[in-house]
Amino acid sequence: MDFSLTDEQQMFRDMFRSFAQKEIARVAEHTDKEEQLPPELLNKAAEQGMLGALVPDTLGGAALDPLSYTLMLEEIGKACLSTAAVILMHTSLATQAVLDFGSDDQKGRWLPALAAGEALGSFALTEPDAGSDAQSVSTRAVHDGDDYVLTGEKSWVGNASIAGLFVVFATSDPKANGRGMSALVLEKDTPGLKVGHREPTLGLRGAMFHTVYLDGVRVPVTNRLGGEGDGWKIAENSLEHVRLALGAAGLGIAQAALDAGRAFAVERKQFGVPIATKQAIGDYFAETVIEIESLRHLIHYAAWLAEQKQSFASEAAMIKVLAARTARNATNRMLQVHGGYGFSAEYSISRLYRDARALDLIGGTPQIQRVQLARHVFEDTGVKVAP
Amino acid sequence: MDFDLKPEHQALRRFLREFVQEEIKPLVKQIDRTSLVPDELLKKAAAAGLFGIPFSQKYGGMGAGEMGYCILMEELGRADASTTAILGAHTGIGVMTMYLDGTEELKRRYLPDLCAGRKIAAFALTEANAGSDAASIRMRAVREGDSYILDGEKMWITNGPVADVLSVLAITDPSLGARGGATCFAVESKWEGFSAGKREEKMGLHGSPTAALKFDNLRVPQENVIGKVGLGFVTMMKTLDVGRVSLGAATLGGAQAALEAAMQWAKMRVQFGRNLANMQSIQFMVADMAAEIESLRSLVYRTAWLVDAGRPFTKEAGMCKLLGSEIASRCIDRALQIHGALGFTRDGWVERAWRDSRINEIFEGTNEIQRIVIASELFQEIGVRIRP
Amino acid sequence: MKIVVAIKQVLDPRGFTVNRKAEKIFVNREEYIINPPDRCALEAALRLKEAAGAEVIVLAGGPERAGDALRQAWAMGADRGIHLTDKLFAGADGLVAAKLLATAIRKLADVDLALTGDRALDTGAGEVGPRLAEALGWPHILAAHRVEVSDGMVKAIVAVGKQFFAVQAQRPAVVVIASGANQPRYGNAARVINSYREWNPEVWNAADLGLAESDLKVAVEKRGQAFPPERQPGTLLSSAGELVGLLKRQRVI
Repeated sequence: MDFSLTDEQQMFRDMFRSFAQKEIARVAEHTDKEEQLPPELLNKAAEQGMLGALVPDTLGGAALDPLSYTLMLEEIGKACLSTAAVILMHTSLATQAVLDFGSDDQKGRWLPALAAGEALGSFALTEPDAGSDAQSVSTRAVHDGDDYVLTGEKSWVGNASIAGLFVVFATSDPKANGRGMSALVLEKDTPGLKVGHREPTLGLRGAMFHTVYLDGVRVPVTNRLGGEGDGWKIAENSLEHVRLALGAAGLGIAQAALDAGRAFAVERKQFGVPIATKQAIGDYFAETVIEIESLRHLIHYAAWLAEQKQSFASEAAMIKVLAARTARNATNRMLQVHGGYGFSAEYSISRLYRDARALDLIGGTPQIQRVQLARHVFEDTGVKVAP
Repeated sequence: MDFDLKPEHQALRRFLREFVQEEIKPLVKQIDRTSLVPDELLKKAAAAGLFGIPFSQKYGGMGAGEMGYCILMEELGRADASTTAILGAHTGIGVMTMYLDGTEELKRRYLPDLCAGRKIAAFALTEANAGSDAASIRMRAVREGDSYILDGEKMWITNGPVADVLSVLAITDPSLGARGGATCFAVESKWEGFSAGKREEKMGLHGSPTAALKFDNLRVPQENVIGKVGLGFVTMMKTLDVGRVSLGAATLGGAQAALEAAMQWAKMRVQFGRNLANMQSIQFMVADMAAEIESLRSLVYRTAWLVDAGRPFTKEAGMCKLLGSEIASRCIDRALQIHGALGFTRDGWVERAWRDSRINEIFEGTNEIQRIVIASELFQEIGVRIRP
Repeated sequence: MKIVVAIKQVLDPRGFTVNRKAEKIFVNREEYIINPPDRCALEAALRLKEAAGAEVIVLAGGPERAGDALRQAWAMGADRGIHLTDKLFAGADGLVAAKLLATAIRKLADVDLALTGDRALDTGAGEVGPRLAEALGWPHILAAHRVEVSDGMVKAIVAVGKQFFAVQAQRPAVVVIASGANQPRYGNAARVINSYREWNPEVWNAADLGLAESDLKVAVEKRGQAFPPERQPGTLLSSAGELVGLLKRQRVI
């Protein structure tokens, strides 16, 4: 079992790290205050191939292996979790759906633009009454000739106001509870597609989450990914990928918190000594690295499974829970290490703390992950576990 | 052993709850967004007696004791942390220093205005290099005739920018350091030499004005010494001790509000064909919150009773602050989780409570310091002196 | 000037829930408050006291817990509080309540004004004011908003539908204060504390009032109770945008 990164992976990591520190970290505070990414940032990221990370090079992507992709998100997450969120919602949610379920024609139509960052991807699954219970989507897709007509309301749609392409989940049969769902690709400016109210958020303020209205939106059947009724399968696939991606970003922010805390604990002296020498403070760092390293290795394992084209659904669920916990604990502990300065808006740690909190909500709550994992544990016993 | 509050305290709770829910709760979002607790509100609170709850009526206080004060802080904590911080810093530590150790004359001079809310108090101990290590303060007070000349800077002072009277600790004898050579003074902000820096921008508690303070050769008459010259550190620690009890009460209020809101949401929100209240993991979260809150409630009010009974309470006070701040953070975090995405949006209330509550584990003595204080008291009981 | 205010306690509506299906009322938290309209009446009395000088005397019937209501009234600024309590007063209807109050007012002597709230939250009857006036033989003013006194008269602005009228009556008179006519004060925390430490309400029973069982016969007989018919719940919207979206999806606009 070889735990080392290949030369190529190391090269990618160094490249991502350098870019993230130079271009993303520098403006992270600004991104949070202004509640948006600086205009040029996504273009620069696209130039680095980040927006087409997993797209084959034949279609203009960077064709990264899964592990390198997680290294990329770790570096971006370390620099700015908002930026990481914008990127991974585009890559792991929207682009992934097209990649895994698009016909050759559809892939040819959309992937190049997505990979080049000409169109940012958005994933519209959640609704006001379909949160954790994502299968109870009620947005309707009604057949009309060669089209579907979509009517409904989506909430918490990431990237909505800057997206060029939306993957929208709608059902032909609300009573079928998920089995009637289909995934449809819409371009922005399609008549009837309206991006509404933006949610002002606690953290991840550089990312944008909107309500999106679908008022009789006409979309050709040829824009459907996969078959009619495949929607839930497609959604689940993207969610699996985004859990791994969020895991990597979470690892990044946890590391960023650790680094900030470490620097502070060495500088700050009380009772005549750097606080790093105080046992209780040292304990905080110890607990943090235990969690960070556990997470790191679980992510690398899941990336390896992905590379082997094996299922990593359970691992993704574990990673999601562990990453949210790790990031939350790391930022919380390191904020405490900062003392009063941790509460000041002038130090970055409070922003990291606010951002990290999102990880327990976006991409599926730990409550849902735990049900999934319990189900997995009892799978072959015949006992059925449900939410 | 009667666990009921005395009838006057029960009536006080009803009175305060009504005031807080009618007058303060509706303004909570505005206070956070504008970073301001409106003057109008503070005037109403003053008229209702909220600025002098624990102090003896002979000085213009409301005569409700530490018990009454904890009730106030709990009720305030249920509604808004910024208002709680303003009143808490004023009453619990600002005025309290003078109340505990001031001369009769000093008390008669300052307390009536402070209890009536005509003047606001603050507690100025912390400095840039003296946070947890409060004893390493450097601010000087040099004796000159029948005055002292104060010179130095304080940091992170709650109410600093708006205070009229401040309880300030300064070194009067450098050879002895803070422990034995520091003195506490009642300083008026209108005196020459006082200035407040710009208001700190914080993650939460936006309505609570906090700033660095400069004392530039500021003359303080000797009549304004609080307690004994040289023993100011003891005075300040005594004040912080009792302040911790009411902070425990405030966090109790915050935790309680979080529990109630989480339960209301769990009642309303339907997913997977039933309301969240019927999901076992939510039920267990709620049960855990309630159990923690109940234990905190007993701890806080028993400690308040110890204070009013004149019994030692340092260890228990530390526990109130330690447990209260951590329980509030846990409960509010669980409430955020139960609210799902709604807990994350600034259009809701949970995220504000989540941002506000974090400071409780840090100010008034970090939780690390509380653990040291508690351990110190415990080991002292078996004859061991511990060093931090 | 002597002003009497009649108050009563009601169950705090925030402490109970109504289950229509079971046709039951579940009291989750049994707490009593001063009937909110009566607090408006007390507030009106206190404002008159501030403007013109007066002794404000609060009367309350009910079991022992009514003492808490009287203490709260004192904490708000009333001068005296009298608890009218006796086994014989139990189950009093509007007629008997008015009789009790009238007797107490006559006993107090030289009362200029009797103020009441316009209805009780629990019964919703609103009859005590007029019945009291009848029992005393005094004029009464209903739905009073602004109350003033001057040379033997009481003047008020009263609301009738959407219109306001200025009325006046000769004192002594009963004035029924409109709900929402004012914002009742909270009082002051020191008085709340002192209302239990230094002060006690006076207690008058049937004998003190010179009333016998035969004087206290009720006129109302309760024959049953039922819930009002059910109404369909609406949908709660939280923004104009939501409303517009809803109307659009229903093809109204």
